[in-house]
Amino acid sequence: MHPSIGLLGRVLAIVLLTILIEFCASTILYDRASKLRVREDEVHRVAEHLSGASRVMIQRPPAERPAIAARLSSKNFTVRWVPTLPPAPPMSADLTVMRDQITHWEPVLAQHDLRLYLKEPGRGGLVTGSLQLADDSWITFKAPQLVDEGKFRFTWIVMMVVVALGLSLIAGLMVRSTLRPVRKLAQAAARIGHGERQEPIEETGGVEVRELVHAFNEMQARIHSLINDRVEALAAVGHDLRTPLARLQLRAEGIGDEGLRQEIGNDVMEMSAMVSSLLAYLGGEDDPEKQQPVDVAIMTATLVDEIADDGGRAEYEGIDHYDALVRPVGFKRAIRNLIENASKYGESVFVSGREDERGVTLSIADDGPGIAEDRLQDALRPFVRLDAARGRNTKGLGLGLAIAARAIEREGGTLRLSNRPEGGLLAEVFLPSPSIQT
Amino acid sequence: MTAPNVLIVEDDPALRTLVMRSLQQNGFNVRPAGSAPEMWNIMSELPVDVVVLDIMLPGTNGLDLCRQIRQKSDVPIIFVSAKSAEVDRVVGLELGADDYLTKPFDTRELIARIRAILRRGRMDRQHEGGGRREAHFDGWTVNFPRREVTSPTSAVVDLTGAEFDLLSSFIDNPQRVIARERLIELSRTRLGDSSDRSVDVLISRLRRKLSHKGGKAPIVTVRGIGYMFSAEVERV
Repeated sequence: MHPSIGLLGRVLAIVLLTILIEFCASTILYDRASKLRVREDEVHRVAEHLSGASRVMIQRPPAERPAIAARLSSKNFTVRWVPTLPPAPPMSADLTVMRDQITHWEPVLAQHDLRLYLKEPGRGGLVTGSLQLADDSWITFKAPQLVDEGKFRFTWIVMMVVVALGLSLIAGLMVRSTLRPVRKLAQAAARIGHGERQEPIEETGGVEVRELVHAFNEMQARIHSLINDRVEALAAVGHDLRTPLARLQLRAEGIGDEGLRQEIGNDVMEMSAMVSSLLAYLGGEDDPEKQQPVDVAIMTATLVDEIADDGGRAEYEGIDHYDALVRPVGFKRAIRNLIENASKYGESVFVSGREDERGVTLSIADDGPGIAEDRLQDALRPFVRLDAARGRNTKGLGLGLAIAARAIEREGGTLRLSNRPEGGLLAEVFLPSPSIQT
Repeated sequence: MTAPNVLIVEDDPALRTLVMRSLQQNGFNVRPAGSAPEMWNIMSELPVDVVVLDIMLPGTNGLDLCRQIRQKSDVPIIFVSAKSAEVDRVVGLELGADDYLTKPFDTRELIARIRAILRRGRMDRQHEGGGRREAHFDGWTVNFPRREVTSPTSAVVDLTGAEFDLLSSFIDNPQRVIARERLIELSRTRLGDSSDRSVDVLISRLRRKLSHKGGKAPIVTVRGIGYMFSAEVERV
């Protein structure tokens, strides 16, 4: 584990970085915003006007000057003559640039103490100014169209918004990537305990996150080995029970009392069925069986035939053939459990198979007591026996439906239980068609 | 006919004795063995007709033992196992075992299987079909050791025991008319999955299961006599 700044450090770094970018961006933008955008052609026009006006004014007597000024004025450029001017405030920095542009165009004006002011900023950028003549009297002027301030304000706002949005996006992405291991952890934690073996999560991210992931991985491994030990112990007991069961069965054959012999025989069969279903349930997880094409319609019909041959009342109707990719033993056990369950609780079993473009549905219905609506989900959980609801037969460990549900899920299918309106339980097995299955 | 020699290989002494006693009561000549070396000793001493072999023996794996026996002789083998996993059953049968029993079992079942195997062994010798493993017809494949049928689309087609036995009887007598009574008799040679279903019901089920993509199953009814398997059978 190489050193890494913590989660707090990461978030702080992100905040700092965004603040820094924001600071730089707004400094640059503010700097640009304060430089008024001067229309260069207008500046040149104003420069020529001013130099012309100053030349004309100085040659005329002061009495005529106001009239000349009026004549020199136009809509976009007003000139007035004043004998004296009150001391003016110092010029703002941006306008010195403009003054330099003017005097650069008309160098004569440099000797005339040209002053510029921005009037009513924000309302179209009215520039006013004054110019001293050789006899210490003044010309004042207004040039309304020298700068485009308003337009520039709008762009400025837009740009600030864009920068802010961009920054939020960057910050969001960075925080998200910082928190990604945490999210992975949450997903892994949600998956735990649902059966399948999990790979350890990659230990990346900040120190805190790494420690958390590491601890989680270790916990996962501990849980897994704990479960494994239990499963192996239980399976070993299951296997080992079979030899004494076989002895018991053979010994029982020596009993003279016919009734007692029958009863012991039944007990042995029941215990043996329990061991089988326990082993099937425990072995289901790492069952090495491979998927292969199986005609599941025939498989179902054959299971029904076997029940019928044993004297049960069962019939199959529907499609004759449907090839599906399944684990033959596991899937057959699932369907057999459902059919045997139905024949256990009902007098008759009705099995049907139908096919549509999405896949195949095998329905197993009985005319038994069904399951209370609020316990339908419980029925699929292991070791749950719905004795109260289903009454008469309490054989087995309550694993049959759990084994079936898991085997069907392993093939990408679903098992749905419901009560039939006419009474009895309906189990529907759906297998998606191979083209939908990935 | 002398009593058949049955060799029991089982590591649990009590169970070994129990099986031995019940088989003896039913007229078999039983030799018990508790381990693989004992088994080899007995096999070298006298001709054995059937071996009843426990899969889980100390020191040796029953599956390996089965393979070793097969290399030396084709004596019928019945596996007995505490494992009921279908996969083990298939592997055992693939390796050349003739049948498979899961613990616990009762004497009646064990004896029925031993008798069926002995009878089949004699029949196979009569028909010289001792080494039959696979048969093909119309794109279908029948694997005898696994008792498995695959369709022309290479999907596994599941049959009940009785249906499989009936199909086996047809495959043994292709393109020959077989009387109903003879079919019943032939189907009975394999016990274990026996059923009281009439041959006609089994035939109609078999026809339905062996139909494919509009193609009809190759079983023809010969009115008043019986049935005929009309497809050409190729054996491997």
